[in-house]
Amino acid sequence: MNRIIRKLLNNTASLIGLLLLLVFILIAVFAPYLAPPLFPDPYQIPRMSWDVEPQPPGFPMSDDMRFVYESLGKPITRDKAIFGTAQGGYDIFYGLIWGTRTAFRIGIITVTLSMLIGVILGSLSAYFGGWLDELLMRITDIFLSIPFLVAAMVLTTILGRGLDKVMIALVAFGWMGYARVIRGSILSTKEEVYVMAAKALGVKDFRIIAFHLLPNTIFPVLVQASMNIGSMVVTAAALSFLGVGAPLGYADWGQMVSFARNWIIGSPGKAGEYWYAVFFPGIFIVLFVLSWNLVGDTLRDILDPRLRGEL
Amino acid sequence: MNNSLISIKNLVKYFPIKKGVFRSTVGWIKAVDKISFDIYNGETLGLVGESGCGKSTTALTILRLEEPTSGEIFFQGENISSINKKQMRKYRKDLQIIFQDPYSSLDPRMKIKNIIAEGLAAHNLLDSRTRVQKVGELLERVGIPPDYMDRFPHEFSGGQRQRIGIARALALNPKMIICDEAVSALDVSIRSQIINLFKELQSEFNLTYLFIAHDLSVIKYISDRVAVMYLGKIVEIAPKDIFFKNTLHPYAIALVSAVPVPNPDFKRKRILLPGDVPSPANPPKGCRFHPRCQKVMEICSQVEPELKKLDKDHYVSCHLY
Amino acid sequence: MENKNRDKVLEVKNLKTYFFTEDGIVKAVDGVDFEVYQGETLGLVGESGCGKSVTAFSILKLLDYPGKTVEGQILFKEDDLLKKSEEQMRKIRGKEIAMIFQEPMTSLNPVFTIGFQIAESLKVHYKMSNLEARKKVIELLEKVGIPIPEQRVDEYPHQLSGGMRQRAMIAMALACDPVLLIADEPTTSLDVTIQAQILELMKTLLKQFNSSLIMITHDLGVIAEIADRIAVMYAGKIVEYTDTRSIFFSPLHPYTFGLLTSIPRLDMEMEKLESIPGVVPDPLHFPEGCKFHPRCGFATERCRKEEPSLLEIENGHIVRCWQVDRVREEAKKIAFTRRLAVVE
Repeated sequence: MNRIIRKLLNNTASLIGLLLLLVFILIAVFAPYLAPPLFPDPYQIPRMSWDVEPQPPGFPMSDDMRFVYESLGKPITRDKAIFGTAQGGYDIFYGLIWGTRTAFRIGIITVTLSMLIGVILGSLSAYFGGWLDELLMRITDIFLSIPFLVAAMVLTTILGRGLDKVMIALVAFGWMGYARVIRGSILSTKEEVYVMAAKALGVKDFRIIAFHLLPNTIFPVLVQASMNIGSMVVTAAALSFLGVGAPLGYADWGQMVSFARNWIIGSPGKAGEYWYAVFFPGIFIVLFVLSWNLVGDTLRDILDPRLRGEL
Repeated sequence: MNNSLISIKNLVKYFPIKKGVFRSTVGWIKAVDKISFDIYNGETLGLVGESGCGKSTTALTILRLEEPTSGEIFFQGENISSINKKQMRKYRKDLQIIFQDPYSSLDPRMKIKNIIAEGLAAHNLLDSRTRVQKVGELLERVGIPPDYMDRFPHEFSGGQRQRIGIARALALNPKMIICDEAVSALDVSIRSQIINLFKELQSEFNLTYLFIAHDLSVIKYISDRVAVMYLGKIVEIAPKDIFFKNTLHPYAIALVSAVPVPNPDFKRKRILLPGDVPSPANPPKGCRFHPRCQKVMEICSQVEPELKKLDKDHYVSCHLY
Repeated sequence: MENKNRDKVLEVKNLKTYFFTEDGIVKAVDGVDFEVYQGETLGLVGESGCGKSVTAFSILKLLDYPGKTVEGQILFKEDDLLKKSEEQMRKIRGKEIAMIFQEPMTSLNPVFTIGFQIAESLKVHYKMSNLEARKKVIELLEKVGIPIPEQRVDEYPHQLSGGMRQRAMIAMALACDPVLLIADEPTTSLDVTIQAQILELMKTLLKQFNSSLIMITHDLGVIAEIADRIAVMYAGKIVEYTDTRSIFFSPLHPYTFGLLTSIPRLDMEMEKLESIPGVVPDPLHFPEGCKFHPRCGFATERCRKEEPSLLEIENGHIVRCWQVDRVREEAKKIAFTRRLAVVE
């Protein structure tokens, strides 16, 4: 165990990944203190003004907005948009802070659910083989042949706008990779002699899957899952960017980027005038994805079969 | 024989060779092709042969870890070759196996306590405290300190792991243990420890062994009877003393003569077999050994010899006799 | 002995090869001395982890990090190989000293024909043309007993059986008429009847080529058949070193003696196998004193404290043990019956 910790601390990349992740976790946990909500629903991003045009960092809350919030009865502790405002006067800082919670929720829920589906289908398919394997793998192939983003878009359009719908779409089209990976490793692991030994002892099939096969095959899947958390968040952001994601004003990074859609270039003669509208949401997303990828790499290093003997 | 523990009649195991997009079967690997033999109560039957001769497949098929293609397996007079999975579970307690590779035969993520108790758990035998106690006794018996039971397999050497494998097999109080090359992967100085352990356990627990090996010297030491397999067939079976004094089948003779003997003064006529073992997918017609046999006759390439009884308990399948 | 008049091909002096692992220094080979004479076969015998393969790899300087030869001399034709550059070593490997590996499947490259692979060293070392090399390869394949060599030369390793692959490996090793062959468990993965074929072949070829061989194996039966002299290794050191008959009939080291009484054998009836208790020691935590003492039936207080050095006990019989006299007495009893057992 000490060796693992030593290994983690010696590796700069994994250290950065872990630190970044820790920062995001802290942001998510302390969101109510970092950015106290003004609406009863904390995920509703407060607007600093009614301006359509984004406003630069340090932009103060307009008087009429102040009047609205005071009437809601919440104390106004922050009256400046320190990262500026997005299109429609939405506070970028607030959106990013609370959006961290959204990101974790999207990432962890979608990855957990799709992993669960993938692992169950994949292990049944590999262990029992035969027609069940054929059937499940053909279904997987069909799902794989549909372009992920298009499928997710169509599904969210059908189901309607909303984060939960986005998550359903992500899970529905995100489990196949796990099914494939776990099937592959169970196919090879089930030929191991210790599985044969368990069968010879009269151990039941489901017990063999749960006690022998999954513990010996789940780790590559976990590595893949940890890396996927980042990409799930990016996809959800892409869907929001395309307008089929979170409802208007919901604290979600994708939404923040989509607010910047019309302002990316800037105005004539002033290229990048609204840089803050893209930069801050962008950097949050990039760092979030990076942190999970670094953590995934670290996990893989730790679970590397060459080191497994020392676990 | 009424004291047969296991009786095998015309056992066949073919594996399909699949090819092409539609995985259609284009042929069969005839791993085990109509073999019959008995294993008597309390004896050690040594099954010897070279790789690919079907000796391990025979073992796995007897245990129904591979489904027999045809033929019958009787255990204490009951036919276990066609009963279903659930019915078979009841016989698993009596029939155990120890594998060749001490490294891959133990689940690397399980404590040895749980590895050894797995069979007890699977059959709901004993409560958890008595199970631990039993695991301790078993470990003690196979020569591993019982307080190591919370360790993982990688903390043990090859020989120790093989002892753990033996403890796992013993946990269910089996009547028969199949040792599938159980000492082949071990170092010389460890091998004799394990062989001696097998011998001790046999008299202590009244075990019957099917001892599979490619090394005739080990077979000679441990077995009561010897069976030689070649390309899915049994070519000779005899009690050990008779077998080594009067080896009859040309293949068995060549096999005995090929075994290296740790004695530089040991002179003997060595019979070098020409060529390689043919593929079991396409075995030669007639006697399967005839293309490599020095005493080949006209009939050998035409007619497949039957396993004939020559003497008391000495069976050979060759046209010479 | 007669060897004294023959040329020394290889002399290894105080060879120490260590592995610098995270957990500490593994002294895989710790002070090994032996010599190989022209045309003879030296057997290096021992169990896994005793350092026999590392010795072989050290001779050819084929070890990578974390393994490193830290001390000693490897005199090949009176030249120290350890002082040679990688470039110079390349000229020696394959040409002067060739190696035969255990696993013929993995030591042949699956994507090239065997003809191409055997020809490679001919082209490198003798600058042969493709046509010349091909002719020579076919000749070699015939010599190692591969049927229809004109056809086999264009086949890939997977098209050959295990025995045929090992023959091809031998052809490859012999391609440049090496002075010294090193064979690392060349027959271990083969079936008994195929092993017999290969051993016979090696014996014939060694005579034909007048090459020397270092045969590395754990199988005492194999070594009895092929070796002229034997060095028994235990825990990185040679414990007994003498001619083959002395090893088998009058062993003086308890480990050799223990091995001989613990193997089942065809040439004699045995009531009970003896066994060496315990396990091979962990190379990171070797016992003090004689490394074999925890498993040794002859061990005394002295063995636990003081490590014996290699001493020439009898003419040409070198042993690392304090209890030689007691072992000799014990071995006499068994060796006598063993000689009687030689019948056929």
